[in-house]
This record gives sequence, C-alpha cells and structure tokens, in this order.
Amino acid sequence: PGVPRGSAPVTSLLALAVTSEQIEHLHRRFKQLSQDQLTIRKENFDSIPDLEFNPIRGKIVHAFFDKRNLRQESDGLADEITFEDFLTIMSYFRPIEMNMDEEQLDRFRKEKLKFLFHMYDSDHDGKITLQEYRNVVEELLSGNPHLEKESARSIADGAMMEAASICVGQMGPDQVYEGITFEDFLKMWQGIDIETKMHVRFLNVDTIAHCY
Amino acid sequence: PPRPAAPLLPVPALLPVLAALAAGAAEARATSEGQLPGAAAMGTGTPPSPSGTAFEETRLHVFTLDYPHVQIPFEITLWILLASLAKIGFHLYHKLPSIVPESCLLILVGLLLGGIIFGAEEKSPPVMNSDVFFLYLLPPIVLDAGYFMPTRLFFENFGTIFWYAVVGTLWNAIGIGISLFGICQISAFGLTDITLLQNLLFGSLISAVDPVAVLAVFENIHVNEQLYILVFGESLLNDAITVVLYNLFKSFCQMRTIKVIDIFAGIANFFIVGIGGVLIGILLGFVAAFTTRFTHKIRVIEPLFVFLYSYLSYITAEMFHLSGIMAITACAMTMNKYVEENVSQKSYTTIKYFMKMLSSVSETLIFIFMGVSTVGKNHEWNWAFVSFTLLFCLIWRALGVFVLTQIINVFRTIPLTFKDQFIIAYGGLRGAICFSLVFLLPPAVFPRKKLFITAVIVVIFFTVFIQGITIRPLVEFLDVKRSNKKQPAVSEEIYNRFFDHVKTGIEDVCGHWGHNFWRDKFKKFDNKYLRRLLIRENQPKSSIVSLYKKLEIKHAIEMAESGMISKVPSSVSLSDYHEGKIKPLSPTEMENMREILTKNLYQIRHRTMSYNRHSLAADASEKQAKEILIRRRHSLRESLRKTNSLSRERPVLAFCGVFG
Repeated sequence: PGVPRGSAPVTSLLALAVTSEQIEHLHRRFKQLSQDQLTIRKENFDSIPDLEFNPIRGKIVHAFFDKRNLRQESDGLADEITFEDFLTIMSYFRPIEMNMDEEQLDRFRKEKLKFLFHMYDSDHDGKITLQEYRNVVEELLSGNPHLEKESARSIADGAMMEAASICVGQMGPDQVYEGITFEDFLKMWQGIDIETKMHVRFLNVDTIAHCY
Repeated sequence: PPRPAAPLLPVPALLPVLAALAAGAAEARATSEGQLPGAAAMGTGTPPSPSGTAFEETRLHVFTLDYPHVQIPFEITLWILLASLAKIGFHLYHKLPSIVPESCLLILVGLLLGGIIFGAEEKSPPVMNSDVFFLYLLPPIVLDAGYFMPTRLFFENFGTIFWYAVVGTLWNAIGIGISLFGICQISAFGLTDITLLQNLLFGSLISAVDPVAVLAVFENIHVNEQLYILVFGESLLNDAITVVLYNLFKSFCQMRTIKVIDIFAGIANFFIVGIGGVLIGILLGFVAAFTTRFTHKIRVIEPLFVFLYSYLSYITAEMFHLSGIMAITACAMTMNKYVEENVSQKSYTTIKYFMKMLSSVSETLIFIFMGVSTVGKNHEWNWAFVSFTLLFCLIWRALGVFVLTQIINVFRTIPLTFKDQFIIAYGGLRGAICFSLVFLLPPAVFPRKKLFITAVIVVIFFTVFIQGITIRPLVEFLDVKRSNKKQPAVSEEIYNRFFDHVKTGIEDVCGHWGHNFWRDKFKKFDNKYLRRLLIRENQPKSSIVSLYKKLEIKHAIEMAESGMISKVPSSVSLSDYHEGKIKPLSPTEMENMREILTKNLYQIRHRTMSYNRHSLAADASEKQAKEILIRRRHSLRESLRKTNSLSRERPVLAFCGVFG
C-alpha cells in the first residue's frame, strides 16, 4: 500500500537486503516526514525534534542529499530526495548477515566507510583537508559552550598529525601533508570493526516518534 | 552470598583461638604481677603457671617470648606475606604464567602447605572460614572489577548478560539437581538417602559461575571485550539468583511442608534481592560522589571514602540478605563516573593502585586457602556422585549456553557465533564461592555434607586446572577475536564520537528508539541534574578534550625528560637531536625543568577544567604553560615535515605505564 511511483526501483531495493517489513516501516516514516508528499526537502528535517540537539545535525542532513551517497553519477547536492533515495541512505546502516563471505564483507565495510568519508569531506574533492577536519571537530565540540575555538583547533591539528604519521609515516623535508584520502581513511579505521558497529536496529519501529 | 546460620567448621575457628588467647594473656599478666593465677577472674580452668605458688617471686626476665599476644595478627601477616612471595616466585620464570594461570599455581602452593600442616599436626589444617571469605576477601575483588568495568559495553550487552545470568543459572541449577537426583535413585551407588531438595540445593550452589576464577583465567588470554564482558558480567549478576536459590532450597529442606505460597515468595525474593542490592549500591555511590565534592581541603583521605562507601554498601546489603556483590558493583560503577572528577590526580592514582593491590592480595589468599582447605578429613569419596556431578555440570552448561543463545540471538543485532558460544560455555568456571557455600551447609540437615564437599572440590579443581590451562590454546586454535590493546589516539576518539552522533541522528530520522536514544536521554538527565549536584567544578566534559589533555601532558613530560624544552627548538637543534648529538642537561637543570613543568601541568589541567578566562588571572605561569604547548606543536610539526626519527610512538609507549 502506498508504494511510491516507479515501483521497478523497489525490486532493486529488495536487493539491498532490507526486508519488506522494514520497507513498510520506513515508508510510513517517510510519509510522516514528507507530510504526505513524494519527496523530502531539507526543511522537512527540521520537524524532527530530537535532531535539534545533535551537534553534527548539519552534516547528517547534508548526507541525505549528497549525490555521492545516492549513488548518482553527478556530484553536488540534490534538492529533494524520493523514497528510493531515502532507502538507499538507510541501507548503509543495515546490519551484517551471518552468511556473508569475505569479499562481501569487505565491500560492505568499504561502503559504510565511504559514507562516513563523504560526511567529513564537505567540498567533495576526495580529500579531507585540515580545514575540513577542523570544521568537524568544532562541530563536534560545539555542544560545549565553554570550550574555546583555539582548543578545538589544536585538537584537530593534533589529530591530523596523528593521521599523517599513520598514513604517510616518513615524510621528506619539503613534503606537506595534503589531506586524508580515502585509502588513508581506510587505514585509520582498520582496527575498528565498522561492520558490526554501524547499524541501526529497524526491528521495533512501532514506537515511531512524532514530528511536529 | 547467603549468611551462615550456624558456626561451621571442624578446626581452629576464630572463637576458640580468641579464648585461648585471652587465657594466655591473662596468664601472662597474672604471673608478671605475682597474683594467684587460679584466683584470676577468668575462670578458664587452666592449671597454675609453672612459676609455682603465689608468694614465690620471679626474677626479672631479660628476654621473653610472648607468642599468644600477637598470634592472630602475626599469622595473618605471615599468610599474606607467603601469598605475595608465592606470586613473586611464579613470575621469576616468566613463561610460567602464560601457560598455567596463577590460580592453579596458588592452589598447588596451598595444597603443599595444607599437606605440611596436616603432616605436622596430625589434624586438619584451618579451613577457610566462610565469614572471612565473604566479608573480607571477596569484596575487594568485586570492587576492583566493578570500578574498572567498561560500562558502555556492559550496558550494551545488558540484556544478554541478564538472560544468561538469571535463566542460565536457573537452568543449570534445576538441571543438575534433577539429574543428580535421578542418579541417586540408583541404589547401586549407595546414595538413596539424598533427597530431591538436597540435590536441588547442591545444584544451585554448584551452578554459580565464579567471578574470581573467571577474572583469574580470562586476564591472561585477552579475548575480545565483548566475550569477556559476557562471561564476567554473568558471573557478577548470577549472585542474586544464587543467593535466592540457596536460601530457598535450604529453608525448604528444613520445612516440613512446602506450600505454593512459598514458591511465590521465592520468586518475589529474587526481585527484592536483585533490585534491592542494586539500589543500595547506587544510593551509596551517589552519597560517595556527593561527599567527595567537599573534600578539596583534605585531599589525603579522599581515597578512603571510596573504599569505605563501597564496603558499606556490601555489608549493608549482606545485612538485609540482599545480593552484596551486585550492591558493590553498582556502587563502584556509579562512583566511578563522578568521583574521578572530584578527586585530585594523586588521589585517583592512589585509589587505583590500592584497589588493585587489595584485590590481588585477596585473590591470592583465596586460592591458597582453597588449596589448604582441601587437605584434611573433610572428605567422603563416592565415585558415582563425584563423576556424575562433574559430567552434569559440563553437559548442562554446554546445553544451557547453546539453547539460550539461540533464543537471545533473535534479539541481538550482532548474533553470537558458535565460537563465542563455545568460549562462553567453556569459561563457566567454578571457584571459591561454591566452595564457601558448601561449607555453610548445616550438617544436621545434610548428613552427607562431606560428600558434597568432595564433589565441589573436584569440580572446582577440574574447572580451574583443566579448563583454565586449556582455554588459552583453545582460544588460539579457534582463532577467537582478541582484544586489540591499542594506544589511545585523539583521532580515534573523534571518530568514535562522530560515529555516535551519526548513529543517533539516523535513529532520530527513522524514528527508532534504540540504545543510542536511551543513552542520549540518560546523558541529558545526567548533565542537567546529577552532575550539577555531585561534581564540584562542573564543566561539561568532553571525552575528546580530556583524552587530548591527557596526551598533551604525556608529551610535555616526555619532552622535558628528553631535554627539548630547554631552548627554542630551532632547526639546528632539531637536526642535532636527529643526529643524536643532543647535549644532556645537568641534573639541577633537569630538576628545575621538572619542577616548572609539574607546577604548570597542574595549572594546565586546572586551567582547562574551567574554561572561564575571566575568573583566572593570566599570570606568568599560565603564559608559560601555553608557551610549552605552542612550542611542542611547532616542534612536532617541524619534525613531521622533516625526517621521521622523532617517532612519537616510542617515547609515548614508555610513559603509557605512568598514566595507565
């Protein structure tokens, strides 16, 4: 009931291994957010009350509209997303299945990390520069009113230096560390098993929070 | 753990010793004052002292030996000293602890000692007094474990842990009890006089997974934290069930008829025991945190409050027959968050080390006593009972874990694999708690008590020795995921934090109230009310910032030690350093440097804790602190751009130990 127009893409969604029950739940949520329209715009996200308190709210909302995440060829930001796009974004957070083999797990992991990478890399140039990193840390610490900007900046600098030493290690005297590329990013997250951590339980969505 | 209804053991329990001591002391005093020993108001009936009648004078003693006077503290000190020396002994041969867990070696030492005492005195050596165990030896271990428990992981897996602890222990207890009863019915074994209730009681006390044993064994094998927290959490939480079942069956054994109302009372008792214990712990934890808010003038006794309040929670819970282990765990976990911010750095270090020391001593003593208590005349051997007990323990544990996991996997996001299940089942070690519980059985109600003792000892020895030794090769063989003890990095902390927010945000978007939602809600409540009340200088804390500060301090100390702060790091001096031509500072210079740094480091910590620039005068030392940090950043940036010989990893690792 209420399957959006263009049902052919829905079958490809089933290939994303989100069960039909979950699709229904998410569709209900989509309709709530979009106020029964077919697409969601950025403004619709303002109606989620709890998201207000999230320090990186901007980046999260941005991630929904980022064309790279939506697996579209072009670059930049979309103005509005359909339900299919919504599901695509949600599929980044599905849990691992028991019967995945090594190659699938690896691809899975890369996908999730790519999603995170796009959140850091706001100017879409494929590298996380120092300025972008500083931006991230400032946003993260923005919930803390007593923190000086200077401290946030120095923390970002410190982290960037750690990244440099992990990724590049030996640097020549004139070399400048440009930014964290996706390969470097992968290296840094090597120790953390993202496949198991990056998932959201879709199971009990019967307590759907209300929007205004 | 349940409290003793009657005094227990055969041989030197504390009371007769005290009486003998009193008699000895009275005697000694009487002789030295020349009074009639017989007329002394002790009335102990000891023969008059060898010095003769009342009116004979004694010459002045140049040298006296008065052992009874100091007997008790002397013996206690000797035991603890022996335990510690044994520990040193094991670690001399460094390969030994990796093959055989310490617990096994300690039990062997205990056995040896017990054998010596038995041989020398021809009577059973002092059995570990259950009071001493439950009141003095067990709390420090649980406190240590609870204080340093990874709370986040614990709460994420809480459902599973609770499920295993409650349902698993029930399953084991009833299963073992009933199957043993079945075995007892076979008249060929000579066990027909053991009733069903007695078997159930035995089952309940032997099914408890023991936190001490688990800690001792898992400490060395370094499995991933998830597995560790599942087994260890289970061993802590099952105390509630064990208390209830033990008391329930014990009372049932002594009651003539059992009504249905009693069973319901048992179930209600479980809730009271568990929840009551936790509430007491949390309440006292809050009181402790509140107390430490006011201790900034008397820093020296700050650690004392931590220990006093946690011990108080334990014995208060014991007083009400609630679960003391859960109380002290809850207290420790509550205190940890708030106390850490109120106490000074030194107090924090003191607390940490003292806690570790106490728990280490306790653990050692427990295992040695277990060994000592094994030797003696407390045994009755019955092949059938003992071997079937062991068999059933293993079978029911394996079955239980398997069945329960199938059920709980439906609710878990990360299902437990077969390997995990095997380790959980195999890690169900029994230890000192069952040992003490079996000694507490009233012999009037349990004529076959000695049989039970033997069976318990066999099971404990099997789990500690066989399972303890083989678990390490098994873990390697099964290629279980190990914990990766990496050095904390600021970037990692940033990622983790970022990640949490992303997850919470996505959950908000899809309207799902997941774990993150509840954790967020708790954090908000915490920040708004609890922290304001319990923490002295309440500044909103960020884990990123605190980790960064910690690392900064580490680096600053390391730089001072290597003499880099002395001059402005010019490129010349840096290249000097890289080529190893650094000029060592004179000791007085180093001393000055260190002094300045310590003063300023405390300033840094102090300063950054209250980010309000207007309240603190910007004095010279503050500027100096800032200078140090700026210079370090410059120098590190320089060094990163040049060669890599200033490797950050090496010196930092050396100081990892200092800051833990």
